[in-house]
Amino acid sequence: MSAPITRMEAEELLHREALYLDRGEWDAWLALYTPDALFWMPAWRDESTPTEDPDSELSLIYYRGRRNLEDRVWRIRSGRSIASVSRPRAVHMIGNVLVERAQEGEAAVSSSFTVHLHDVRAERSHVFFGRYEHRLVRGEDGLRIAAKKILLLNDVIPTVVDVYAI
Amino acid sequence: MFQGRLSELIDDRPDDGVFRVSRAIFDDAQLFELEMKRIFEGGWVFLGLASQAPAPHDFFTTTIGRVPVMVSRDGEGVLRGFVNSCPHKGSRIAQTMQGNARLHVCPYHSWTFDSAGRNKAIKWKRAGCYAEAFDCDSHDLNALPRFEDYRGFLFGSLSAAVPSLSDHLGEAARLLDLVADQSEEGVELVPGGVAYTYEANWKLQLENCSDAYHFTSAHPSFIQLLERRKEQPDPSTTRSTWSDNQNWSETAEGVQGGSYSFGYGHALNWGVIGVSDALPLYEHAEALARRHGEARRDWMFNMRNLTIFPNLQIAENASSQLRVIRPLSAGRTEMRTWCIAPKGESAAARRQRIRQYEDFFNPSGLATPDDTVIYENCQRGFASRVQPWLQGYARGMTASRPGGNIFSDAIGMTPERGVLADAQLCDETLYHGYYREWARRMAGEVRA
Repeated sequence: MSAPITRMEAEELLHREALYLDRGEWDAWLALYTPDALFWMPAWRDESTPTEDPDSELSLIYYRGRRNLEDRVWRIRSGRSIASVSRPRAVHMIGNVLVERAQEGEAAVSSSFTVHLHDVRAERSHVFFGRYEHRLVRGEDGLRIAAKKILLLNDVIPTVVDVYAI
Repeated sequence: MFQGRLSELIDDRPDDGVFRVSRAIFDDAQLFELEMKRIFEGGWVFLGLASQAPAPHDFFTTTIGRVPVMVSRDGEGVLRGFVNSCPHKGSRIAQTMQGNARLHVCPYHSWTFDSAGRNKAIKWKRAGCYAEAFDCDSHDLNALPRFEDYRGFLFGSLSAAVPSLSDHLGEAARLLDLVADQSEEGVELVPGGVAYTYEANWKLQLENCSDAYHFTSAHPSFIQLLERRKEQPDPSTTRSTWSDNQNWSETAEGVQGGSYSFGYGHALNWGVIGVSDALPLYEHAEALARRHGEARRDWMFNMRNLTIFPNLQIAENASSQLRVIRPLSAGRTEMRTWCIAPKGESAAARRQRIRQYEDFFNPSGLATPDDTVIYENCQRGFASRVQPWLQGYARGMTASRPGGNIFSDAIGMTPERGVLADAQLCDETLYHGYYREWARRMAGEVRA
């Protein structure tokens, strides 16, 4: 019987994920995810409703499986994607972390985020903001992310948005 | 007033084998104002699909150039286009992207209009001490001077002095048919629109859709990712149509596609794919052949990047995308994009289409960001006038032929010009149609 996941543990993991993304520590970032993890950023149906069914509605990103994140990391590292070179400088700020539901070894965690970006190439700064819903699971090696849903609130995308910017 | 001459902007001398475009047309603010007036606010512009307002009193909003527009289906089911602005004080009437309303009440002074645009109420009219002259004016919403529906594709014009929509689309309508005919029920937009901006001129998007030359240069990370997915297969990754055809590959031999140009600036860049099960349409391949013949069916499976000048693009390659180009300034553009899909396809086909779309087309995907970032690079380079003429309109000059060829004949389509291409030709003459139309429309404002 494992102990319920606490807010402190959840915050620790979310802050760690943010730090890995901001520093570009990709292997450490990927290792936070379970192999079958869901990584999902819905699009918006209209002014107030995000899309809810990824199989019949469009998402900005919808991945079921860490492999897809590995592919994105491969692209970021490849040097073959002009949009990924130079990678914008980014800092994630995560707040309002709440454990909404916790059962044995698993928790649904909501939080708010802002990601400040400075695109050196384009000489401009921008901020993405929204809410996260993480599903965390306790494994043998500690907490892992089984699902991350990113509700991007300012969804008129200035040119590009990638996994490190949300 | 723009002081230059058209001949300093577009150097079109077919007899000399020369076609050049000046950098100025991409970054000159005065030319941008004239483009808005003459091209976007002076001619046919794509508004949306009829399926965006399927039921009585449904509406959606969009723009023509800088002007807000509402498309509304009235109580009898008739679609109409209006300037989305109250005749009283100018406020936008409809505030949302889409909705359903029997009555539209202006938020400012409560003037009220029905879904056919008729004024139904002027608040406190009798107490208003209006002069008789007031009643001489119509108080209805301003109908768009021209509004027409071609097979569910809705177009409007703020100028009445335009050819019929049928003349405007011309033979390019056959390519809209290839989209509309993919289902007997017609086409729809998958719920969930994606908007993005880029800091560069709208014509970069116009051209890039038609650009076969950039694919292997701008998207090597995408191409290598497809190889990675083949070498290390995983059921969670998306299968791309790009890995099931080679029309873009430098080693492909023979005719792999080409281009067609049409009157009024429309253009198609296409490539052979074949009836591949990587396409969600595959489930209906036999039915489509029975209904439309094999030639038209095969064309539905081809890669097709269609521009209906100036603001509609339908790209059917990695998936199926409908794009609306909205210029914001000479150096800033907004793109409104959707996944367009045949109605009634299976849940599995729809899921496949959506995953392929997100993979390639989204600004959060693996290909489009490399395009838009390059547009911004180009925009910076356009600042130079050391040599204002760009050299990007010359490939295919000796391959371009008047009229159609065996491939267009197969679907009964007669373009103005066509190019048959192997994988490396990568025609650039299809842009000439854009700029000939651009020059024709700008001629009233810019000296020859």
